[in-house]
Amino acid sequence: MPRALLSLGLAAASLLPCAPRALAQAPDPPAARWVEEAFQSDPGPLDFVRGDGEEQFIAQALTGDALVGLSPEGRPVPRLAASWREVNGGLDLVLRADARFADGSPVSAADVAWTFRAIEGDPQASATKRAALGDTAARGEGLRVELRGSRPPERLLRELWRVPIAKAGQPGMGSGPFLLQRDGAAWTFTARPGHFLHPALPGLRFRLLPDEAARLVALQKGWLTLGAPPPRPGLAPPPGMVPLVQPTLAQVLLFAGPGAGPGALPAFARWRRDAFPPRLLGELYSPAAGLWPAALGFRAREPDATGAPCPRVLELAYTAGDGALERALQALAARAARDGVTLRLRPLEAGLFLEKLLKGQLALGAITNVFDPHPWSVLGFVERNGDLNVTGWRDPAAEALLPRLADPASPAWDTLQALWARHPAALPILDVHSHLWIDRRLQVQPSALGLYLPTPGAAGWRWRE
Amino acid sequence: MIRRAPGLAVWAAALVAAGCLPGRLWREARPPAFPSRALAPTALALLLLAGATLLLVRLRGPRLAGGILAVLEAPPDLVWALLLLALWPAGAGPPGGGAGLLAFLLAALPGELRWLASTLPPERPFPEAWGPGAVRAARGRALRRLAPWWLAARLPVWLTASLVIERALGLPGLGSDWMARVALRDHRGLAAWIGALALLWLLARPLEGRAASP
Repeated sequence: MPRALLSLGLAAASLLPCAPRALAQAPDPPAARWVEEAFQSDPGPLDFVRGDGEEQFIAQALTGDALVGLSPEGRPVPRLAASWREVNGGLDLVLRADARFADGSPVSAADVAWTFRAIEGDPQASATKRAALGDTAARGEGLRVELRGSRPPERLLRELWRVPIAKAGQPGMGSGPFLLQRDGAAWTFTARPGHFLHPALPGLRFRLLPDEAARLVALQKGWLTLGAPPPRPGLAPPPGMVPLVQPTLAQVLLFAGPGAGPGALPAFARWRRDAFPPRLLGELYSPAAGLWPAALGFRAREPDATGAPCPRVLELAYTAGDGALERALQALAARAARDGVTLRLRPLEAGLFLEKLLKGQLALGAITNVFDPHPWSVLGFVERNGDLNVTGWRDPAAEALLPRLADPASPAWDTLQALWARHPAALPILDVHSHLWIDRRLQVQPSALGLYLPTPGAAGWRWRE
Repeated sequence: MIRRAPGLAVWAAALVAAGCLPGRLWREARPPAFPSRALAPTALALLLLAGATLLLVRLRGPRLAGGILAVLEAPPDLVWALLLLALWPAGAGPPGGGAGLLAFLLAALPGELRWLASTLPPERPFPEAWGPGAVRAARGRALRRLAPWWLAARLPVWLTASLVIERALGLPGLGSDWMARVALRDHRGLAAWIGALALLWLLARPLEGRAASP
């Protein structure tokens, strides 16, 4: 028996050397050092038309180029388009002459038109991209592209970063600074030397690490160059890593369904001020203020007092498995109890949660939403088919205001927010921050969009000597 | 065929459930490609598990049903995976397929050994009183009858039950694929999975028939 066990152990041990070669490169010179990263879920096949979700967008930002990017400060900057001008009904753009797809073919107006048509015409196309483009159509010849639609040009300019251009007829091929290959269990993004963003890293290698504890071990053992640690108070980065906190445009929103009554959200607006002990929230959350994100230029406005009492018992549903959010909601429930309100927390599986929320079966539902970096992204709350209008919110006066919102500085925005404040359907309770640990030798540009999505994104990262 | 009707009805119900799985996604994402690279390592892991279990039960007999294995059977997969992860030297880089196999065997082998050993007939007082040769012969005969049942009943479970180890070690495989399709509400992918498992069940029926016949 012991001999049999020993043989079995030796057979298994003989397979161990096939572990990846992550840290074998640690002593390499900076120019040869790869960035080791982790996806929290499988990004799925690279597809610039149908692909959606956070991981897929990271893969697309690395392997594709949008017409116009957003800088880390949130300004539109040239990407595939070398220049543009706003015209009546849209934008006229001129593409760079040196942009090439992964197969070496040049990027042309025909590729832009094909990508836009595919997103509009494919019923399985990414809903995020379709929402970003609206009814915008692309046409042109050679390097000249015309974008026309009902979107205000300034809004369109700030939405284009969402839509990297694919080669006509090949939705999986982009022109970005990195080339994707599957290497065993890893996704490797190898730098393309001739790319116009001049990536300084040799590449990035992503593994799939959905488990929080496993990600922490990988960070502590130096197997990852950067990553999000679990949101536990008192957790310090290992030697060689530094914490990086980025303010984001993400908020935890509390949606009120028909069962909540008009007095519920004003009560939550009071409770959110003093419900959360700072130590409990850590680096990940901070209490939200106002109705719409101040980072988008909205002044902090509280829901109007309705005079209606808050129901004595409320049920608040949320997506199960998010420990940090659960702790914050428990603090909120404790605060509500001080006012005599019993807040019952109900964790639900993500898919079931959303279905119940959209069907109006939940009195209250908490969901984390990431806003786009422009004020038009709050229109999802008020437009009839808006992605954030999950409770069917309507106001005839608000509908009349919508055509007057072409200018981000228009006073109509303030009027719209005042209308929303009268009977809001959602209230932000927490602002979400991106909390990372990062190798101190890696130089990155923090941004509200995260590290990958702005321009130049990972192509602008450098190793410090 | 009539004898298989109840089982087939269960599989048919599972197929319907896969097609009607409730729930929606906030942002629809494309399901991952099937991890065909994981097929060979999974087959190897299952072969090793089956081979090691049969070999050790053949050597040790019903005595394996108690003792230290009962203790080793208790920790869940996550404990084994995280223990291995914690003990893995940082300088060796992240654990690969070999470590995944080791964690899988650590998690699965004690339970399977006890499962199979506890189903063997008792060896005391007979055939033990007749000597080691009689014990070996009786054990061999019993295992020849039991092994097909055991293979048909237990091994398909391990096709997807390695999910926790895959998640902890960052080695996407069949378990992760199954879980991702549930999370993404990939009705077609889930139906294909259930179809494949049903086919495996159907193919395993003759094994059980042979084991049951005198």
